[in-house]
Amino acid sequence: MNEFASLSPLLILVGASLIILLLEAFGQWSKRWLHSLIALASLGGCAIFAATFWGKGAGYFQGTYTLDNIAILMTVLFSLAGFLVILVSLSYMIQHGFNRGEYFSLLLFAVSGLIIMTTSEDLIVIFLGLETLSVASYVLAGLKKEDEKSSEAAIKYFLLGSLASSFLVLGLAFIFIHSQSFSLKEISFVIDKSENSPLFLIGFSLVLIGFGFKVALVPFHMWTPDVYQGAPTPITAFFSVGPKAAGFLVLFRLLRPFLEPIFSRQNLQIILWLLSALTMIVGNLVALRQKNVKRLLAYSSIAHAGYLTIALMTQDGQGLIFYLLAYLFMNIGAFSILIALSPNGQEFHELDDFNGLATRAPWLAASMSVFLVSLAGFPPTAGFLAKFYVFSTAVRQGYTGLVIIAVLTSLISVFYYLRIIVHMYMSKQISKITIKADDPILLVVIFFCLYGVLQLGLFPGRVLTLIQKAVLSLPPL
Amino acid sequence: MDKIFRLNIKTTVIELFLVFIVFGLVGVLLLFLNALLGPKRTNPLKEKPFECGSPYLQKDINPFPVKFYLVAFLFLLFDVEVVFFFPWALVFRDMAGTALIIMAAYLAVLILGLIYAWKTGAFEWD
Repeated sequence: MNEFASLSPLLILVGASLIILLLEAFGQWSKRWLHSLIALASLGGCAIFAATFWGKGAGYFQGTYTLDNIAILMTVLFSLAGFLVILVSLSYMIQHGFNRGEYFSLLLFAVSGLIIMTTSEDLIVIFLGLETLSVASYVLAGLKKEDEKSSEAAIKYFLLGSLASSFLVLGLAFIFIHSQSFSLKEISFVIDKSENSPLFLIGFSLVLIGFGFKVALVPFHMWTPDVYQGAPTPITAFFSVGPKAAGFLVLFRLLRPFLEPIFSRQNLQIILWLLSALTMIVGNLVALRQKNVKRLLAYSSIAHAGYLTIALMTQDGQGLIFYLLAYLFMNIGAFSILIALSPNGQEFHELDDFNGLATRAPWLAASMSVFLVSLAGFPPTAGFLAKFYVFSTAVRQGYTGLVIIAVLTSLISVFYYLRIIVHMYMSKQISKITIKADDPILLVVIFFCLYGVLQLGLFPGRVLTLIQKAVLSLPPL
Repeated sequence: MDKIFRLNIKTTVIELFLVFIVFGLVGVLLLFLNALLGPKRTNPLKEKPFECGSPYLQKDINPFPVKFYLVAFLFLLFDVEVVFFFPWALVFRDMAGTALIIMAAYLAVLILGLIYAWKTGAFEWD
């Protein structure tokens, strides 16, 4: 149970990022490709080493670090996200003149923060992971030093993020006063199921605010569009996948004891219901007016946070993780297309820049259409199945009203996703910007995401059983 | 933990919370009270950014180098390091071997950061 080896995924990532920093400081300028190789190898090693602990339930540090099956699944997911993001940023960072050592080591630190968040059952360690992730993210958002929007994104993210963190810490303090413990297990024991302690509710609401900020739920979403638009595109892809997945998984673990169907925790359910409905409505309605595709995807990511909250509320772990996995493929795919549309350090992400993309770069347009259709939730794509599982569980548990809102808002979302496709295929005037889809690595990533979207949409069986096994292996309460 | 003690903690915290809320409300009230009660006599001259007569000589603020922020960063590095040393020293006698390894790993990471800062020229003034 208590194995030092179970720390290996984290140690590999942190070690690799330190080595990359040293190489950046002492290495020769001509050997820059070594950095990306080390980063990719460490992410691969992290996923493989984590997978070897499948079903063993290993841990370290007196149980504050537990590599259970869900944590392993998420570690693999985060490594995959990091891997794809590094691959798509290889040519992007040369065009935009990033410092490679800093970029890769910050990205690896961010991924290790995500892993710390999902592998711990101790609230303080979860907070530690969140801060590791956040500090790296603030810098990553502002990596385009010459670009005003990027600096704006970094400062906005930093100020609002540290405010959200302070809410989170205050909430943890309240929870600690009530239960005298930071361990999720002990907290769930201490809570008297009949008692509705105000201190505890205050604490919980504050913690919900802290994580709601990270996953962009609606009253706390103000930072999302600006940060997503300003940050470098590969980093935006990472933001929309990584922190969201980690935040939802932590909330899933945190709320598990309180959302058992036996005890109707009315207050908490009402809060989550309202958050979810608001997030879906506002995210989708505001996305309708967006002219910039990167910003539109930011609002779409807010809307998806709303659908994910439904899975959180129904405690549907399987649906949640499957949704996150499907979201990884379709979102990284869509952002990869945006990266292909930013040649030579300029970014052409306005809706009009997509005019006639089908004739200029037919393959890019076709893959973008698949990703958008999947984000909207059409069958045979992963997005459809993900939404189907989440909604059907919710209906079975009696949240029919919320599911009606969810389906109606997805219907609204179809409009703005299809509008991009209309611009690509049916526009009369063709944008003059020449797009050369000549970066083979980027094309491989797009193809891989396409494969992921279709595989999860058509034959999700094996992945689903894997996720089911992981969720079932959670200790009963 | 003793139950009475826990109860006391709870009530004190609620009281503290209430005090904070009351002070906050009074603060917000005072902010708006000024705008509400104060007399408003404006004229075009008063609206100018530089009120006492002579127009300003220079229009923009020129960018100037902010060099101390790097020093502040590095100071923070060592400052936080020392903060961690105190609790470490307290438990050192109980868990000498492990504590030594943990602190060594911690210091190694910090020193690597320092080396990186040094090598990339954070200490060069110009």
